[in-house]
Amino acid sequence: MNRSEILKTVNEVFIDILDDESLVLTEETSANDVEDWDSLNHIQIVVAVEKQFKIRFTSQEILSWKTVGEMISSISSKLN
Amino acid sequence: MLFTSLPFVLFFIIFFLLYWYVFSGNLKLQNVLILTGSYVFYAWWDWRFLFLLIGSSALNYILGIYIDKSKNEKQRGFLLWIGLIQGLGCLLFFKYFNFFIKSFISAFGVFNVKADIYTLNIILPLGISFYTFRTISYLLDLKSGKIKPATDWVVFFSYVAFFPSLLSGPIDRPKTLIPQLEKKRVFDYNQASDGMRQILWGLFKKIVIADNCALFNAEIFDHYKTLPASSLLFGAFLFTIQVYADFSGYSDMAIGLANLLGFKITRNFNYPFFAQNIADFWRRWHISLTSWLTDYVFMPLSVYFRDYGKSGLILAILINFTLIGAWHGANWTFVFFGFLNGCFYIPLVLRGTLNKKKKAGGQSTLKTFANMAGMFILLMFTFLIFRADSLSQAFDYYSKLFSPSLFSGFVITEKLNTAITLLCIAIMLLAEWLQRDKQHALQIDAIKIFPVRALIYFGLIFVILSFSATKNADFIYFKF
Repeated sequence: MNRSEILKTVNEVFIDILDDESLVLTEETSANDVEDWDSLNHIQIVVAVEKQFKIRFTSQEILSWKTVGEMISSISSKLN
Repeated sequence: MLFTSLPFVLFFIIFFLLYWYVFSGNLKLQNVLILTGSYVFYAWWDWRFLFLLIGSSALNYILGIYIDKSKNEKQRGFLLWIGLIQGLGCLLFFKYFNFFIKSFISAFGVFNVKADIYTLNIILPLGISFYTFRTISYLLDLKSGKIKPATDWVVFFSYVAFFPSLLSGPIDRPKTLIPQLEKKRVFDYNQASDGMRQILWGLFKKIVIADNCALFNAEIFDHYKTLPASSLLFGAFLFTIQVYADFSGYSDMAIGLANLLGFKITRNFNYPFFAQNIADFWRRWHISLTSWLTDYVFMPLSVYFRDYGKSGLILAILINFTLIGAWHGANWTFVFFGFLNGCFYIPLVLRGTLNKKKKAGGQSTLKTFANMAGMFILLMFTFLIFRADSLSQAFDYYSKLFSPSLFSGFVITEKLNTAITLLCIAIMLLAEWLQRDKQHALQIDAIKIFPVRALIYFGLIFVILSFSATKNADFIYFKF
């Protein structure tokens, strides 16, 4: 799975959790750019992403992400 | 030296002139001036604790250098722990030592065992809860690689002791304040005048609204046993307004002062009375504290508990809010206040309404106001616990409050002053509602006619001079 495919899947997870059909993520998107992406929703997104890709992040990985791109790097490193 | 006192005004004028006219050419000297000014400001309150402030700055500065230098992860962790133990240790000792001892003694009392332990007469070093959180976030951010260490010790010591926000916040993060201390500041007329306006608004909230509310509600709280329930309700209303006006007024002044010196510091309040639910409220109230705890406590906890679904999230929220409560001081009232606020999240989590927010605009104005009113009533009853000296007093107040006399007329001694205060509260709420998308209520550049703007400023100054409370109360958050 390449980065753009991962981004597409991650985008679908975000749409589902944040209940916002119009949401379009890029690798540069951060929590500041998405109104509803706050600390309370973040953990639900993380759990949904883990379930979707059948992977498990470490706590340090989750706490270090600043952008969607960094999350995709973590996912990509686990899939390949 | 309260921000609202004459000595501070003189201090700040001298500081301002030196800062922009004598030292502005040299960044290093300007920072030395900030540091000296901050220490003079602090020593004015209590010079003894200046040594604690300097000591913790020095230790954390040195730890920061070594955390950055070390390549060994274990060693970095060890250095971080030294900093955490020092910071939290001082906080626990000065703030909570007597509390633990007293709770311990009363726990023994239940079993009729007389514990003979003496409590120490510990004075709380002013601002310790605020500057300790700054040093801790510096080390944590360094350790996780989010920031680089401060370039020199003057910058770091000034970051810890920056006088506009030293005593009651906002709790600036290293990545917000340190880069600004390392960069040359240029006098910007627009920023400075905006700072002046924010100070003016803060003064109005503090000395007209908060101090007057303090006088009236002290009267009610001191005699709550004999007053009708309707008066007690009025007391609860006044206190809720007072806490907000006092603390957000202080924050406005701190942010305004920083603006006058060319700094942009963290916003602390975003019109919390217009919140639509409890989660929305805590995103708008004391933002610099809640976001600190969100990053360093709530996020790690929620990650840790993520396999437990909703119950894991609720547990993380409850721990986080109990800590927010306990941060305010060593009293079960604060702990319970925090815990209760955490409990208010439970229905939101269970219903799943946290992640299915109504989009703005999709809600009628009537519903918006109904939600605001509901939130305000909830706050009124929760802040009662915050106000009470003990939990038993809070519950006593509640039991007196819910009695038939709730529907009787309430007793007011100073009718005219009460009416003026209520009018000022209405002005504050209306102005903030109209300006809710701005940083503060006096950002009124949209009014193009200068005389109208001038009239508003001078009108406000007139109100401040005429209706300021006869007794200047200390800022509530100074004791935290």
